[in-house]
Parts: sequence; C-alpha cells; structure tokens
Amino acid sequence: MSRAMLEADALVAGYEPGTPIVQGASLAIGAGEILAVLGPNGAGKSTFVKAIAGLVPLGAGRVVVGDVDVTAWPAHQRIEAGLAYVPQIENVFATLSVEDNLALATRGSRAARRAALERALGRFPDLGLARTREAGRLSGGQRQMLAIARALVVEPAVLLLDEPSAGLSPRVVGELFGQLRAIAAGGVGIVLVEQNVRAALALADRALVLVAGRNRLEGPAADVAADPLLAALYVGGVAA
Amino acid sequence: MTLQWILDGVIAAATLALGATGVTLTYSNLRFANFAHGEFISWGAYLALTLAALAGSVFGTAEVAGPFSFGGRLLLAAGLAAALTGVIALVLDMLVFRRLRARGAAVTAVMASFGVSMSLRALLEVLYTSRPRYYSEELEIAMPLGAGLRATPDQLAVLGLALVTGIGVALLLSRTSLGRQMRAVAENPVLAEIVGIDVAQVIRLTWLLGAGLAAVSGVALGVLVQVRPSMGAELLLPLFAAAIVGGIGSVPGAFVGALVVGVAEAATVRYAGAEWRAAVSFVLLVAVLLVRPTGLFGRQP
Amino acid sequence: MSGWFAYACTFGVLALVQGIACLGLNLQWGQTGLFNVGVAAFMSIGAYTSALVTTAAIDGRLGGLGMPIVVGLVAAMAVAALASAAVGALTLRLRTDYLAIATFGVAVVVDLVARNAVSLTGGTLGISFIPRPFASFADRPVPFAFATFVLVALLAFGAYLVLERLATSPWGRVLRAIREDERAAASLGKSGAWYRLQAFTVGGALMGLAGALEAHAIGFLSPDNFTASVTFQVWAMLVVGGSGNNRGALAGAVLVSALWSLTGLATAAWFPPDEQARAAALRIVAIGVLLTLTILWRPRGLLGERTAVSRHLGGAD
Repeated sequence: MSRAMLEADALVAGYEPGTPIVQGASLAIGAGEILAVLGPNGAGKSTFVKAIAGLVPLGAGRVVVGDVDVTAWPAHQRIEAGLAYVPQIENVFATLSVEDNLALATRGSRAARRAALERALGRFPDLGLARTREAGRLSGGQRQMLAIARALVVEPAVLLLDEPSAGLSPRVVGELFGQLRAIAAGGVGIVLVEQNVRAALALADRALVLVAGRNRLEGPAADVAADPLLAALYVGGVAA
Repeated sequence: MTLQWILDGVIAAATLALGATGVTLTYSNLRFANFAHGEFISWGAYLALTLAALAGSVFGTAEVAGPFSFGGRLLLAAGLAAALTGVIALVLDMLVFRRLRARGAAVTAVMASFGVSMSLRALLEVLYTSRPRYYSEELEIAMPLGAGLRATPDQLAVLGLALVTGIGVALLLSRTSLGRQMRAVAENPVLAEIVGIDVAQVIRLTWLLGAGLAAVSGVALGVLVQVRPSMGAELLLPLFAAAIVGGIGSVPGAFVGALVVGVAEAATVRYAGAEWRAAVSFVLLVAVLLVRPTGLFGRQP
Repeated sequence: MSGWFAYACTFGVLALVQGIACLGLNLQWGQTGLFNVGVAAFMSIGAYTSALVTTAAIDGRLGGLGMPIVVGLVAAMAVAALASAAVGALTLRLRTDYLAIATFGVAVVVDLVARNAVSLTGGTLGISFIPRPFASFADRPVPFAFATFVLVALLAFGAYLVLERLATSPWGRVLRAIREDERAAASLGKSGAWYRLQAFTVGGALMGLAGALEAHAIGFLSPDNFTASVTFQVWAMLVVGGSGNNRGALAGAVLVSALWSLTGLATAAWFPPDEQARAAALRIVAIGVLLTLTILWRPRGLLGERTAVSRHLGGAD
C-alpha cells in the first residue's frame, strides 16, 4: 500500500455520550484502493463511516486526509479536504433535477462548474439522458449512480460508500461495482461498507471486519474471505 | 363599480403575498411554523417609521415623489428597516431557535416563537404605544382606471412592488446557486451538509430574506392603511392560510394563496360585513386541510 | 383583615381556574406533545356555553335556559370537547405544527364570534347576571369568597386526581410513548392518531370547565376575558411549573398568577395613569422572556416530569 490517503485512527463515536457504538475502530486506505468494511449487523460499520464523514459526534480518535487533520472539521468542510460520503438511504434530493443534484456539489467559476457537471454526466450515460428529470423519479440503480456521480464531482481523494448495493438487483449491482472498479482505477480510494459480503470481497483489494465497534480481522480480501472467523460471524450462511 | 371589491382584494393580496413568501421560505427551510413572523412585519413598519422620521429631521420636512404619498426617503428607510429586521431575526435565531433546532425539538421551537411573538409585540406597545401611526399625512385621491375601477397611486405602487419582488424571489430560488442550496436544505438538511453545503449559512440567509420580506410588507401595509403594534399579529393567520393554501415551500404558491385569501376576504367584506373578514382565513385553512393538505402547489408526501 | 382574606380567596379562585386550564394543557402538551395556541378559545367556548345554559332568558339573545350551574359546567365541558375533537380530527393526522396553526385560527374565530354574534354572545358588552354559586349569601363577601374558593379548589383537586390516575394508567403510558418517539407513533398508525385525539379532547374539556368556572365566579363575561394573553399565561404557567407534571401545572398556575398580580400592583403604584398601558405591555414582555428563558435553560420547569427524561423538552443535556 502506498502512503495512506485517509487514516481513521482509534475512533470512538456514537449518538449518546457514554454509550459509543464505535469503540476504537481504525482504517487506512491508499490511492486507488478498495477497502471493504464488513461485520455482522450492529457491528457499527455505518456509524464508523459516518463518524469519518463528520456526521456522528466523536468521543476520541483522529481523522487525517492526506496530510490534513480534519478531526475537528464540520461535515460540509471535509469535502474540501477530499472526503466524499454517500449515505445508504435518502442520498439524492428527490425534488431536484438530476442536473441540480450534481450542480450542488460543483465549485468555482461558472465555466469550471459547467465542466464538472458535464464530466459527471459523461461518466454515467444513463444520467446524461435524464438530466432534467427529478431525482425522485429515477430507478433505484440510477439514484445510486447519481449519488456517486455527485460525490465524484468534487474529485475526492476518498469515497465513503454506505451499502450502495442495498435494494438493487444483482444485475444492477454488477454494473455498479464495475463502475466502482473504474473509479478506483482512476486513483480514488474507496471505502465500501457492505452486507453483500461475497460481492464486496470479490471487488475489494483489502477487507476489514468490525465486531462490536472494533477491528476484529483485516487483510487482503482473499485472506479474509478464506478466514473461518468470517463464516462463523455470518452464521446462517449470509456469507456463504 | 361592481368589480371594485375584486380589485381591493387583489391589492390586499399584494401585501399578503410579500409576507406569505417569507412564511413559506422560512417554514420549509427552518422546519417550524414561526409565530413571530407577524412581529417582523410590525417591527419592519415601525423601524421604517423611526428611520424616515430621523431622515426627516436631518433633511427637513417630509417629501413626496410624483403622485405618491411617500418619497425616496421612505424607500430608503424601508430598505434599512428590512435589513435591521433581518438582523433581529438572526439574533433571535442565535439566542433561541438555533439551540432548540439543535435539540431536534421542532414543536418546542414553535412554542418558543409564540413566547417571542408576544414579547416583541408588547415591546412595540411599550416603545410606541398602541396609537395608530401614519407615514404621511398626505391625502391620496383614487384615480379612475377604466371600467369603473379606481385605485390610488400608492396601491398601484404596492401591487407593482409585490409582483417584482415575487418574480425576483422565484428566480432566485429556481435559477441561482443559492436558490438551489435553499431548496436542497428544505428537502434534506443532513444530505445538504454531506454534499458540502454550509447549512448554517443557508439558514441565516433564509432568515434574512424572510424577515426582510416581512418588513417590506409591513411598510407596504403602513403606506396603504396604518402602522399599529398588532398589525402583524392580525396578519399571521391570513399569512399561514396563504402559505398552506399555496403549498409550503412554493413561492408561486404563496402568491396564488395570497390572491385566494385576499379576494375571499374582499368578498366577505362586501357580502357578509367587514366584521367577519378575519374568519375567512380559518375557513380556507380548514378547507385546504380537509381536501388537499399539501396545498395547490405542494407535493404529495 | 377580612378585605385581605377576601382578596386572597378571589386570587385563589382565578389562579386555580387557570390551573384547571393548565392541567388540560398539560394533558395535551406535557403528556402527549400536542401544541395548542387556542387555550383561551376553548375556555371561552366553555364560558359562553355555561352562561347561555344557566342565565335567565333575555329578549333578543339566544339561550337563557335558566338551568342549574352543574348543568352549565357539564355542557361547557361537552361543547369544548366537541370543538377540540373537531380541530383534532382535522389536523392530528398532518404535520405537527398544523395543529398549532389550526388552534390559532380557532382562537381568532372564537374571538370574532364572541365580539360580533351579538344575539348569541352579547357582543363586546358580553353577558352579565351569570348565576354565581352560593348566591344565597352573596351579601357577606368573606364567606362568599371563601366558599367559592373551596368549590374551585375541590374541582381543581378532583381534576388533578383524575389526571394523575390517567397518567399512570396504560393509556397515559401510550401517550408518552407517542410523544417521545414519532416513529413509534407512526407504527401505531391510526390508533396513534386516535390516542392523540382522545388526549386533545379531554384537555379541551378541562379548558371548557375552567372558562365556565371563571364566568360563574365573576358573574360576568366578555370577549376581553379570553384574549391571546390568557393563552400565553396558561402556557407560561405550564412551562414554568414543569411540563408533564400535574402538580407542576398547578404550582405554575399559582406562581405565575402571583407574579402577574404583584407586577400589576407594582405598575399601578409606580407608573403615572397615562403610562399604565405601556406598563401593562411591559409585564407581557417580562412573562414572554420568562417563558422563553425557561424553555431554553430549564426545559423541565420547576418540578419537571418525574418519570422519563423527555426528549421533546430537550432533556437534561
């Protein structure tokens, strides 16, 4: 792994002070790398990435993007540092058009904004055809694409995705994961929280398994896939 | 003369529309019904009164321009009053509403706004007494407009001001980057934060815009009728009715809603008597809540 | 001495009358989280109903049935409950602050009717010669005032006992659950709205009772008895005393009434006659500031709620 683009170090986070959901979890990710964050229900995976994005109060720990310590930054500023987050649900503005959704993320001069918008639409041809449609009228897969396209508008160093495959058909998931591979190939680090363990491990370079808010197992995706602990955690064959 | 009452209703609707636009914007972006909005109208009117008097004492006696009962001095005072009312709203937000929003207690914010409104109105009575005041002693003559209709130049000016302001705000929302951000915050503030929008800043600008529009409608009402401490409080129910009839969050809706309320009030004054005018808003409110709670231009949830 | 005692009794009557309204508001807001801006209107509905049922017939005015006061009180509760149920049925299934806006509308309309439907309400002149309890010894002010006080106190205490009973019953627990968690309320679906409607209706009935008692205690009724500032005071009572706590509602009623009376005496003594209107407005400013500061800094009021820490009041952060 090259020098880390994102480092989250020993995070303690939760909604109620005194009862943290994340209890010292850590991760590091380099350019162009895909890291799958796995774990049983309630392990704190979503809260972990939300805490990295600045959406959950942090009790302890450090978040560093590149060389910049963003631990104390509000969520909307972490984007400037190169950290883009896509939530699992309600991740597009349903009452705004596809174009407006993307334009919200653009910065800079009018020409720069225009160019960023066209780049985003160019990457996802489906969206290019629906640019004036309200996001609420898109299909589930298109919405997910739009959410990711919007996150990419700012050209982030790291993309945090919370269960992007939830509720999508296997065919759409395949398409989506293909896109993610292409995005990573462009140098973006991707942190992927997934319930869909098999698909996630097939896509990811490395994997991290959280249990009760702490790192339990991590390593190259193939090693994690072969570890008996993983099967034990997903009793009932979810991981089979 | 038979259609004169409709014109009167449309003119009343113009002042309502300015206020209802502010209500619909703050309601959809701040996510609570602000009972102090009426007080922004009254405070705007009184601040303009004081500022115009100050300007008068500096520059001499009251001035009028053309056929109107007011001049550039009141316009300047109105602009300053709108800005100051915006500042009052920002200070209130900082002291009261922002903390309650942070607790996630929208209904408590409604209640606090009720307390704030009583205090603000009573404070006007302390400062200015409840005696009605006027911007000008000038007497205005209604001009014939054709078809037997008459209106004063002031009334036509307010009508024009409302139209220009309404189109301006609608364009701001639909065409500008700030407008896009405001619509995004109205739909989903958490996602807006994630996307990189400075939500706190957008909320501050919403307060400024909403309170400023309220102040402008207060000055317009003061020019057409009079300035009283309870003028805004009495307008509050019609404003809520107009915003809900039109659909919360929709600026064109606020204008159409204001038109419905204004003309219905005028019809009531003509056919049932002026004393029943204040009941019209309630009847319209009940009707829209029964038939289409999202209003004419609102979205089905 | 006897003058002072009669004054204290009259103060107690008016404080406890508002206390009963405050108990009703506590059921609506404190227990269930329903925001009512029309407290004075529901009191007004009760007051006029009871007045029309109990006064003697007068030419040119409806009502005047000459019934006993008890009948008037029951009718007052029934009509106020009906009005509350109608408003609740209209708004409780919608977003929460539509109830606030609708009750505000009710306040405007009730005031309008009270002032303008002269054949029903006597207009701005109001209704006089409303039967007073213990009228047989009205010529002896001290026992008369004391007896009236005892009657109102007993009714307030009775209302308190019933509400305490309800609060600890399964019914009361459902109400609090609905208040604390909108999603839980949503999962109850229609029955959630039904529970809220019940709480709103019972609360409205208590406000109707309070208004009727005030009318009978004073013997006279006009629209000015039930202005928006009454709603405002009842709210201040509940918030200062402690939302969610019935004892807090009564304590807040006595405390805010005392503050109101004392500041009234003070302004009467300190301000010249032509400044009295301004001084009265200053008292409202003060109560508003008190209300807002309590919401911000001591959301649970003086007594607060004994059981759960309430999220809708901000909790103990």
